[in-house]
Amino acid sequence: MVGLSIGEKKFIQGGISQDLRADGRQRRDFRPISVEIGVIPQANGSARVKLGATDVIASVKAELGRPSSLQPDKGKAAIFVDCSPTAAPIFEGRGGEELSTELSLALQRCLLGGKSGAGAGIDLSSLVIVEGKVCWDLYIDGLVVSSDGNLLDALAAAIKAALSNTGLPKVSVDLAAAKDDQPEVDLSDEEFLQFDTSGIPVVITLTKIGRHYIVDATSEEESQMSSAVSVSVNRRGQICGMTKRGGAGLDPSVILDMISVAKSISQQFMSVLDSEIAAAEAAEADDA
Amino acid sequence: MKEIPLQLSLSQTQRSRLRAALEKLQDLASKSTASVTVADTIPVNHEDGILKGHGTSEFNEEVVATVCGVVERVNKLVYVRTLRARYIPEVGDIIVGRVLEIAPKRWRLEINFSQDAVLMLSSMNLPDGIQRRRTAVDELNMRSIFEENDVVCAEVRGFQHDGSLQLQARSQKYGKLERGQLLSVPSYLVKRRKQHFHHLEKYGVDLILGCNGFIWVGEHVEPKDNEMVEDHQKQEEFTPLETRQHICRIANSIRLLSALGFNLSADKIVETAEASMFSNIAIKDILGAEFCVETAETELKRRVSKRRS
Repeated sequence: MVGLSIGEKKFIQGGISQDLRADGRQRRDFRPISVEIGVIPQANGSARVKLGATDVIASVKAELGRPSSLQPDKGKAAIFVDCSPTAAPIFEGRGGEELSTELSLALQRCLLGGKSGAGAGIDLSSLVIVEGKVCWDLYIDGLVVSSDGNLLDALAAAIKAALSNTGLPKVSVDLAAAKDDQPEVDLSDEEFLQFDTSGIPVVITLTKIGRHYIVDATSEEESQMSSAVSVSVNRRGQICGMTKRGGAGLDPSVILDMISVAKSISQQFMSVLDSEIAAAEAAEADDA
Repeated sequence: MKEIPLQLSLSQTQRSRLRAALEKLQDLASKSTASVTVADTIPVNHEDGILKGHGTSEFNEEVVATVCGVVERVNKLVYVRTLRARYIPEVGDIIVGRVLEIAPKRWRLEINFSQDAVLMLSSMNLPDGIQRRRTAVDELNMRSIFEENDVVCAEVRGFQHDGSLQLQARSQKYGKLERGQLLSVPSYLVKRRKQHFHHLEKYGVDLILGCNGFIWVGEHVEPKDNEMVEDHQKQEEFTPLETRQHICRIANSIRLLSALGFNLSADKIVETAEASMFSNIAIKDILGAEFCVETAETELKRRVSKRRS
């Protein structure tokens, strides 16, 4: 964690109350974002997102599995986050574990919805190949390479980009071969199905410092926060999940206000992210 | 306090303009220095008998570089001065550092050197300006002068026998820095000059270019003797908005220049900040694509005209 002197803390707090932050941004401005896709060739889809000095990588691995007996019509998806010790010395050894668990939980809540899979940003029913027999298991892994605040938003954006880069091989199933056992499957090497990412939400974290709240806080600003609310919003402006961090309590009216702000910001952020992903896809196509 | 890499989404024309400008800048620069990368052969005359210094190794009877940097020769000694290395202090350097811990009779400071620097209680002026022996009471009150995490400006006094680095702050211009922001840039971008303290009167901003690559940009404060008393009342109010705008503009100019790898001098920083003001660029857009390309091109023009004259 960064140590700041009292003078610097005052300067940051003053900047936020005067709507001019240390790097010249206003309270509701994001840092410039850059997206790279296809960074891990072994994965089905991967992306690297840089938000200022924050740098994260997300990868999607798909494996054939068996749906759980409780939900035979749905595939499975799991999200794990790892904090690299290169990002900060405190992540060394088991130091990053707490933060990793917190981030994975928040992302699961924001992207996967409830236990039943209802309200999930990732449409699990599209992962089923044969009901009750074969489905895709998605393993979504995030890696924090460099940490300068706002990890959750960056990770969510990276996962969204990685999923849009994901191609699931086309599967042909031979149902006649075995009736009650696992059916035989055949993976195509050439045909890939694009994953539908239109329903995947973005996460907007509003960090409350003093009497105001800001988006895309740097780690210096995060050290001054009283509480932070992360809202995940999909393309239609619906709230898919929420998490609150930080010890201080929030008035219900403030939370409602934050939600509506997050909703309006999310639409701008989504369009910026979409154009960045499109640019990254074009750049990748140029290279190939 | 991370060094901010530029995240530019350049358009096609901007990218080619930036590349052309940077390439030309490199052409202008590379004539004078012998820069090497890892495994480059360093030409030496073996008959003279040479001493291999830091960053060199012998391979197939040739001297090769083991680090990236610039080849330096001092008599028989051949070594490579690395780029992007940590700060190497010299006596008299003005540095900006952050207090890490308070030890008996001394503060330990982080100054981007390979070890922590030491500021002795006896090598700084007490806030009331009296020259006297430091008593045990002074020692107990050290936290009222500098606390942990405080940003402090000081001067390199010298190396002790055991190799530790000693600092001193024997003047009113040194001391605690408040109301501003600390930036960190690669230390080789800050060259040693006559003047490292700059009071930009037009903007009411203090700019301290620490030789160790830590740069302080903050609200101007008059150096005074007894600031201890009124300090606490003043802390309540924030920096005025106009001053803050200037601080942020100058800080972003520094970030841009260091990302482009240009040497940082007060003139250059102010020039860049004024250029951005002149062309009506918002403070946050200083780090944007268009102004970045423009700054690189301006610098190229300046260097070309300097070469001609």
